[in-house]
Amino acid sequence: MAVNLSKGQKVDLTKNNPGLTKVKIGLGWDTNKYDGGSAFDLDASAFCLNGSGKVNSDSDFIFYNNKTNPNGSIQLSGDNQTGEGDGDDESLVIDLAQVPADIQKISFCITIHDAAARNQNFGQVANSFARVLNEATNEELIRYDLGEDFSIETAVVVAELYRHGSEWKFSAVGSGYRDGLAGLCRDFGVQV
Amino acid sequence: MSISLSKGQKIDLTKTNPGLTKVLVGLGWDTNKYDGGKDFDLDASVFLLNAAGKAGSEKDFIFYNNLKSTNGAVEHTGDNLTGEGDGDDEQVKINLSTVPPEVEKISFCITIHEAAERGQNFGQVTNAFVRIVNEDTGAELIRYDLGEDFSVETAVVVGELYRHSGEWKFNAVGSGYKDGLAGLVKDFGLM
Repeated sequence: MAVNLSKGQKVDLTKNNPGLTKVKIGLGWDTNKYDGGSAFDLDASAFCLNGSGKVNSDSDFIFYNNKTNPNGSIQLSGDNQTGEGDGDDESLVIDLAQVPADIQKISFCITIHDAAARNQNFGQVANSFARVLNEATNEELIRYDLGEDFSIETAVVVAELYRHGSEWKFSAVGSGYRDGLAGLCRDFGVQV
Repeated sequence: MSISLSKGQKIDLTKTNPGLTKVLVGLGWDTNKYDGGKDFDLDASVFLLNAAGKAGSEKDFIFYNNLKSTNGAVEHTGDNLTGEGDGDDEQVKINLSTVPPEVEKISFCITIHEAAERGQNFGQVTNAFVRIVNEDTGAELIRYDLGEDFSVETAVVVGELYRHSGEWKFNAVGSGYKDGLAGLVKDFGLM
């Protein structure tokens, strides 16, 4: 059911789509239908990374408590805490032309809030998906079925946008982690 | 040899076991015996679900009063009334190659009979497990021990066998409902 670039595949983004400026990441999932457990609270986030693959400061970590980067080129929609509603439950929009010059890479991640305490992972969340769209045309560039491609993981790096010369390229990462947002923050140099 | 699963885990079954056709799904549990309480009557049941996650008809609900699916691909081997004995308390046989094509998922459940009346729930049940055995060789392929994370549930979906890209996979679910069998049949479209 998931139509996606091969894991690890890298494609030109702006080179093949001259004039492409805005990319949107959509995240969706179903609410928890079982009793006795907690709601599934999935969160989309973005890490704006310098040439060393780290954030310059904590303001480059875009998540539910910091919904835009300093110049507004990256914007996160609100925090959906249960998955209620059809379609994308959360989304992130990036205006590529406005991303500050020292940001070399933007890493898109999905995490399950409080996963360890709630004993949750992607394998339990029904119909969870992440998709990347050309925001102007609504064309879907990549889609990951998060519940099939990941099961015991609690954090996933979906994809990375990175500069190559004067263009932006796109890498389908699709790698998951078991130690959630904390693991990602450590990787990217965010103070936890 | 057997792979031990954790809650939420999804694992290939037929892809990693080429040629596998007949499996035995064993379900087991202990109950804490306290004085002054009522007996526990736990029952395994199986729901054959279509692509929408619903049972086509009541014939797709396999339990002690409906032991075989329409074409016999799924067979419940009978009701254990006491839970006596080690190992599997109840078993279901499945011939994966003859499961009708419209059945996309097979859900294995355990319910507590008359739970509400008797004041019982899965918080009182320990050591619940599901295992999948290659019926031809007797080799245990997968085991999921549910642990003790239950409280208000009176019906539990232990795990699900489901089709994915032409193969069968298994998902360790280990979650349930507080309204017993009614919760299950409602979820599966039979209410």
